[in-house]
Amino acid sequence: MIKINKLSKRYGDGQDALTDINFEIGKGEMSFVTGHSGAGKSTLLKLILAIEKPSGGDLIVNGLNLNKLSRREIPYHRRKIGTVFQDHQLLTDRTVFENVLLPLEISGFPVEDAKRRVRAALDKVGLLKKEKIFPAALSGGEQQRVGIARAVVNRPSIILADEPTGNLDPNLSAEVMKVFEQFKNVGVSLLVASHDTSLIKTLNYRVIHLDHGRMVNDIGIGNE
Amino acid sequence: MNKVKTANRQNQASHRGNDVSPLQIHRKIALDSAKRLILSPLSSSMTIVVIAVSLLLPALLFGLNENLQSILLEFQNSARITLFLDNSVSESQGQKVSDNLLTDNAIQSATYVSATKALEEFSLSSGLGEVLRSLSSNPLPAAVIITPATLNTGEINALSQRLETISEVDFIQLDSQWINRLSALSDLISIIGQLLAAIVITGLFFIIGNTIKLSIENRRQEIQVIKLVGGTDIYIARPFLYTGLLFGILGGSVAVFLQLIILMVLNGSLQELIQLYNSNFELRGFGFFNSLSLVITGALVGWLGAFLASFRYIRGVNP
Repeated sequence: MIKINKLSKRYGDGQDALTDINFEIGKGEMSFVTGHSGAGKSTLLKLILAIEKPSGGDLIVNGLNLNKLSRREIPYHRRKIGTVFQDHQLLTDRTVFENVLLPLEISGFPVEDAKRRVRAALDKVGLLKKEKIFPAALSGGEQQRVGIARAVVNRPSIILADEPTGNLDPNLSAEVMKVFEQFKNVGVSLLVASHDTSLIKTLNYRVIHLDHGRMVNDIGIGNE
Repeated sequence: MNKVKTANRQNQASHRGNDVSPLQIHRKIALDSAKRLILSPLSSSMTIVVIAVSLLLPALLFGLNENLQSILLEFQNSARITLFLDNSVSESQGQKVSDNLLTDNAIQSATYVSATKALEEFSLSSGLGEVLRSLSSNPLPAAVIITPATLNTGEINALSQRLETISEVDFIQLDSQWINRLSALSDLISIIGQLLAAIVITGLFFIIGNTIKLSIENRRQEIQVIKLVGGTDIYIARPFLYTGLLFGILGGSVAVFLQLIILMVLNGSLQELIQLYNSNFELRGFGFFNSLSLVITGALVGWLGAFLASFRYIRGVNP
C-alpha cells in the first residue's frame, strides 16, 4: 500500500528533513513511526498526503507514484487516506456530526448512507451521544476521537495518524489503539506517528525509528 | 441561546431528507451563502450598493438614449422644409411657386402661407395681437411649407439644394436639422454608454474579486481542512460562486430600484417644463426586459468575478 524507496525531502532553506528512507507497509499492516520532535515524522506524513513534494526517491501510495501526481489528482488521492491530525483540524462552526460527515459530503456520498456511516464511526469512538455538539464544547480527548471518526468514516485503505493519543489518558489511548487494530484486521494499512513509547511497548507492532531525518531502527514484529 | 442554535441545526439535519439530489445540495450551498451575506450586513450591503451604482451609471445612459430614440421616432414623420419667400414676391406669385413645387416627386405637399395669414396665426398663437397690430408694417415674410415625400437625409438635402435655386426664395429652413443633431447626440451617448459599461464591468470584477478574496481569507482554516480531507477546488469554490452570484443579482435589483426612484423624481420635475411645450412627453423607465437584463448582467458579472477570484485564491490556500 505504501512503498518508500530512497525517499528524501530537502526544504527550500537547504535543511534535510528526510534522507534515504526505505520501507514498505502492506495491506492490513500497522506500523509506528517514532523519534524526537523534528526527526521527520510529520514531514513523512505530509509527503504521503501530498502536502509536500519529495525531493528524491520514490513514494508509491495505493499504486500511485506521488512524484507524478498532478495538482488535480491530489484531492482524490487524499480521499483514499484517512488522517488523524495532532491538532484535530476540526471545523469549529460545524457540529461533531457535520465534521465527521465532511469527507462523505466532499465525495458526494448518498445522504442516507452517509448518515449511517457517520453514526457508525461516532459509535466506534464512543461519541454517538455528542453528535449535535460543537467541537469547542468537547475535551481535547473527545476532539481527538472526533478526528479519528472523521478519518475512518470514508473507509480508507490507508490511515495515517499523527500523535493520535497525544491528549488521551492511557485507558482512552488503549481504546483508540483497539479501534485502529479493528481497521487493521479488515485490511487497512496504518502508519502511526507517536512518541508514546510506553503505549508502543505494550503493543506488538513494527516500529520505525527516525533520527534527524534518517531511519536508525526498523524493529519488526516480535523482536521488541 | 446555544441550545436553540443546536436545536435548529438538529432540525435542519433531520430535514436533509432521504433523496437528496444535486439540485438540493446546490440549494443548500446557496442558502448557506445567503446566510453568510446576512451575517455581515454592513459589508454585504456596501458591496451590493457599489455594484448597483456601478451598473446604474451606464444603464442610465442607455435609458436616456432609448428616450431620445422614441422622441426621434415621433418627430421623424414630421420633417418639414419651410421656404421663406422674398418680400417682393406677390401673393399670386407665391401661390404659383407653391403649385409648381407639387410637380416635384420628392415633395408630398406644399402649402402657401401669405404674410398676412402668417401674422394672423402668429398673433393668435402668441397672444401678442395688440402689440402686433400696433406695428406699422408686417414683419413676417410669406412662406411655403413643404412636407418631403422622403425621410432620407441625403434626398432631403438634395431637395433643399434644388429649392434654394428658385429665384423667389429668400432662404429655406430645414426642420429636420435638429432631428439630425439629436440623432448624432444619441449615437454619441450610446458610444459613451458602451465605453462606460466596459470600464464599470472591469471595475466590478476587481471589486467582487476583492470581496471574495477577503471571505476566502476569513475561511482559510476551513478551506485548509477541506483540502486535507480531499475537497477539490471546485467543491471549495462553490459557496463563493454563489456569494458572487447573489451579490450580482442583488446589485442589479437595487440598480433597477434606484432607476425607478430617479425616474419618479425626474418625471415630477420635468412635468412643468414639458407643459410649457404643450407635450405629453414622459420619460420612460427601463421596462421589464431591460430591467431583467440589468439583473442578469449583474448576476453574470458577479458569478464570473467570483469564479476568477476564487480559483486564484483557493489555489493559494494550502494545508
